Amino acid sequence: MLLPFVAMAQTATDVVQPPKEFNPAGWDWAFIAACALTVLIILVIARAFDIGSLTEKVTGKKVIGWTKVNAWLAIIIIIAGAAGITYEMIYHGKLILLNDSASEHGKTIDSMFNWTFGFTFLVFCITEILLFWFMFRYRYREGEKALYYLHNNKLEVFWTIVPAIVLTFLVLRGFNTWSRITDPSKVSKDATQIEVYAYQFGWKARFAGDDNKFGESNFTFISGTNPLGLAVGAEVDSLMAELKRDISKIDILLASAADSSRVWQTALRDLEAKQNTTAYPEVYKDVLTKATDARTGAYVRNLNKDKKRKQTNLWRIAEYKKNKDFFNNAANDDKITTEIVLVKGKEYVFKFRARDVIHSAYMPEFRAQMNVVPGMATQFAFTPIKTTAEARKDKNNKDFDFHLYCNKICGAAHYNMKIKITVVATEQEYKEWLATQTTVVAPPVVETPEAPKTDSVAPATDKTVAVIHN
Amino acid sequence: MSTAALHAEHDAHHHHKESFISKYVFSMDHKMISKQFLITGIIMGILGMGMSLLFRLQLAWPDEQFSILEVLLGKWGAGGKLDPNFYMGLVTIHGTIMVFYVLTAGLSGTFSNLLIPLQLGARDMASPFLNMLSYWFFLTSSVVLCISMMVETGPASAGWTVYPPLSALEKAMPGSGLGMTLWLVAIALFIISSLLGGINYISTVLNMRTKGMSMNRMPLTIWAFFFTAVLGLLSFPVLLGAALFLIFDRSAGTSFYLSDIYLDGVGALENIGGSPVLYQHLFWFLGHPEVYIILMPALGITSEVISTNARKPIFGYSAMVISLMGISFLSFIVWGHHMFITGMNPFLGSVFMILTLIIAVPSAVKVFNYLTTLWKGNLRFTPAMLFSIGLVSFFISGGLTGIYLGNAALDIQLHDSYFVVAHFHLVMGSSAIFGMFAGIYHWYPKMFGRMMNNTLGYFHFWITFITAYLVFFPMHFMGLAGVPRRYYQFTLVKEFDVWMDVNKLITVAAIIAGAAQVLFIYNFFYSIFRGKKAEQNPWQSNTLEWSTPVEHIHGNWPGEIPTVYRGPYEYSRPDREEDFYPQYIPDETSTDPLKSTKAAPAPDTKEPEVEPVNSVFFSALKRVFGWS
Repeated sequence: MLLPFVAMAQTATDVVQPPKEFNPAGWDWAFIAACALTVLIILVIARAFDIGSLTEKVTGKKVIGWTKVNAWLAIIIIIAGAAGITYEMIYHGKLILLNDSASEHGKTIDSMFNWTFGFTFLVFCITEILLFWFMFRYRYREGEKALYYLHNNKLEVFWTIVPAIVLTFLVLRGFNTWSRITDPSKVSKDATQIEVYAYQFGWKARFAGDDNKFGESNFTFISGTNPLGLAVGAEVDSLMAELKRDISKIDILLASAADSSRVWQTALRDLEAKQNTTAYPEVYKDVLTKATDARTGAYVRNLNKDKKRKQTNLWRIAEYKKNKDFFNNAANDDKITTEIVLVKGKEYVFKFRARDVIHSAYMPEFRAQMNVVPGMATQFAFTPIKTTAEARKDKNNKDFDFHLYCNKICGAAHYNMKIKITVVATEQEYKEWLATQTTVVAPPVVETPEAPKTDSVAPATDKTVAVIHN
Repeated sequence: MSTAALHAEHDAHHHHKESFISKYVFSMDHKMISKQFLITGIIMGILGMGMSLLFRLQLAWPDEQFSILEVLLGKWGAGGKLDPNFYMGLVTIHGTIMVFYVLTAGLSGTFSNLLIPLQLGARDMASPFLNMLSYWFFLTSSVVLCISMMVETGPASAGWTVYPPLSALEKAMPGSGLGMTLWLVAIALFIISSLLGGINYISTVLNMRTKGMSMNRMPLTIWAFFFTAVLGLLSFPVLLGAALFLIFDRSAGTSFYLSDIYLDGVGALENIGGSPVLYQHLFWFLGHPEVYIILMPALGITSEVISTNARKPIFGYSAMVISLMGISFLSFIVWGHHMFITGMNPFLGSVFMILTLIIAVPSAVKVFNYLTTLWKGNLRFTPAMLFSIGLVSFFISGGLTGIYLGNAALDIQLHDSYFVVAHFHLVMGSSAIFGMFAGIYHWYPKMFGRMMNNTLGYFHFWITFITAYLVFFPMHFMGLAGVPRRYYQFTLVKEFDVWMDVNKLITVAAIIAGAAQVLFIYNFFYSIFRGKKAEQNPWQSNTLEWSTPVEHIHGNWPGEIPTVYRGPYEYSRPDREEDFYPQYIPDETSTDPLKSTKAAPAPDTKEPEVEPVNSVFFSALKRVFGWS
């Protein structure tokens, strides 16, 4: 129970007040003055009305008949609201994505939307108009008495049943649409699989190579040169070597921990004695953190934690290495791309995998979205029915591109995490594009006929790094 | 401290009942506690609203520099530009403050505390001591949350839902460090506060009604507070569990929510076997009832205010109670509609869709009943009445879009888009805050013994009402065009450029809305000291609270607690000269209570005549701690 507080206390020592510069000359005085003026005007208006109500009290005469004003404002709201909604629908209505779905199932979603819109907009108009009309019509009149009307069972049953029927209709339709879109058993076996991989902050796509088979992958294999963690023997070997190197480095640090601690304490004392704490705030902060960590033992604790984590990884990788089915070289000819290219009319299954936190693959033009969850496989199947060229023509925008956006808060650069989707008309175009993409492991050099035949496989050093991890 | 010292201290408290500390600070009087909740809620509301204006500035003018930001935020606004990490922090804390601190504690805490004893005819809450604790836990929690915004790494910034792994890993974003720890501490304290309050409300409603106040004579406000408290009591502990697991994952190395994670600069983590979706289930098991915890008190207040000011009985009292009951029950089994596309089994999605759309039926019944209550009424436009009508309008506009989002098929497209932002800001944000305003304007005379200025109230209402629609209505269109929420700026995606003018409109409207709240705050604080003195029953209302003296006294009624003779909404009875018939006035013409009311049964004679000030809880506590 105490742990969170301990953790809090540890981090609390990091909180050093940043140096504060008091520089009124740099302030936007015009803006501040404008704000102050606005508040002042509001207060003056407020005071004016105070005085107004005082006059009412003294003279006994109403200055403004607020009942009438409010009642007429209700009418104005109906008219202005209708005008505003009409304007919005004309002006922005053409920007919304409706009836122009770029995917097959999207059409059913659009039709579902239209049905729902029909019902709800009708109810919206009727109830809102009634609300404000009643407000106008039944405003307070001296001497009148309201109708004493407690309940009417028939009426109440009526307006319970009618929404229930409408909703039943919408539920059944929605149920059908939803199951057709998401049911994994409805996806045909020939559908092309594409792995979509999300990380802070970007997307990668993986296409199966010539063998039409995806290589295995695991998060423990991820390294700078193997961003997707694919089961590529050479990559994993070098990662294991790196982990071993790191562990021995940590061992050296641990052995000299007492010395480092002394060094930092001395450096800290030195800085403080020479009163250099403000002259080099960054250096001072760094040394202070290190000295404090060393004194509290956090330094050694963190090193040990890191070591244990690396040992666990090493062990896990070693266990995977024993499994020959896992390291079957299927990953070698996979292609990792920074763009997704689809063929119009072909069914695709996007298999999602996340590296760090939850992301969401959002393709509004295709009416498709699915969360990308670390530790959990998710998928979304759809068939594009519009090429990029067609969409550009429809939208009358020659720069238009389909995109897959991130739609689940994932960190500072969440707003700039997207990958382009291009839909081409023919299989041929797609193949041409795919041929330009490099494979994970470069294929063995094609031997010239004169060369003597050997049995050796491509040496590990021949591999090229397909994608540079960013 | 020794027991003797405790005794002495407690005695000292007891004998100086009117000392400043015991009257205004550590007060056990429900009326004072309600004022404490309200004022803390208003201060948090100002903070929450101010934050929304800051990030609205960023969204409307992403390339401008506002030196005011550097003045206000220091390094987070360096060069007059809002830091992307702090933008996330602002969004997160804005949501947390508005949902929990303003609309849960500020709304339900204020009015449950004020009205439950007053409208039921009780001397105080079942346990005044727990009630006091509830406020102090809430205040501590508010302070911790405010402190979390001042730590070097910034406040929690994973969105108000704080989904792990983002919120669990310090290295995933700066806000997930100390800021997140403080957020969790604040929420844990808040949950304790809310549970203490909830237990109290439920036991008071069930046990401490005055003679004649049978359950079906309770005002709809009390019904709403009662169901709200039940929802809170059943769902908040689940959030506490979710938060505890998250704390363990963050600090104790467990893997409840974490699995298969590789972090830049760290490497592959050891955690395997956890599920981030588990957190979402636990969170939304609270999260969805929470929406109704926010909304139902506002609906209760609206029922009361509309009936009083329409001078007309609320239409279909039983239907209103049954629909509240239906909403409460259903709200527990619809949480999955927040998770249609999280990778949850699609079949589960279908089930949640069906349950979700059923909840629209009781909501529709409520709207139709409000409309019929207004029909052929004699509407007095007090500011409270206007805000209630505004609430109904928002409830319709925001509620109807729920039918889109509750539909799993449509949610594929709309999930996490601006459509969702528009939906919940209308249906639970704006409408609940309007319910709160209605409550403040209506019961201000009861709270402070003075009247607020009506004219300022009208200005406040119309400006807020129009600007709220200007802010949230265009967002529907953005959402339908596939604009995702929680984006720091839209200029990096050229498809979203067309929405820049709308973003500007929204920001300008939001600033005007913020300015209108200055009117309210001025009116509120000015009237506490200088407002017109209130009459005994300024709105000619039927309910019991208006029979208490204008100047507050401990124990609420100087003499005996009045007996209740009829239901709360007997307005404009044809057989009476006056257009209201208070619950506490004995029937002059008939001695048969059955005939005098709208089919209300005879008063329950088993009700205790004199309510104990201290409840079983309090006396038990006293015994445990050995207090006198």
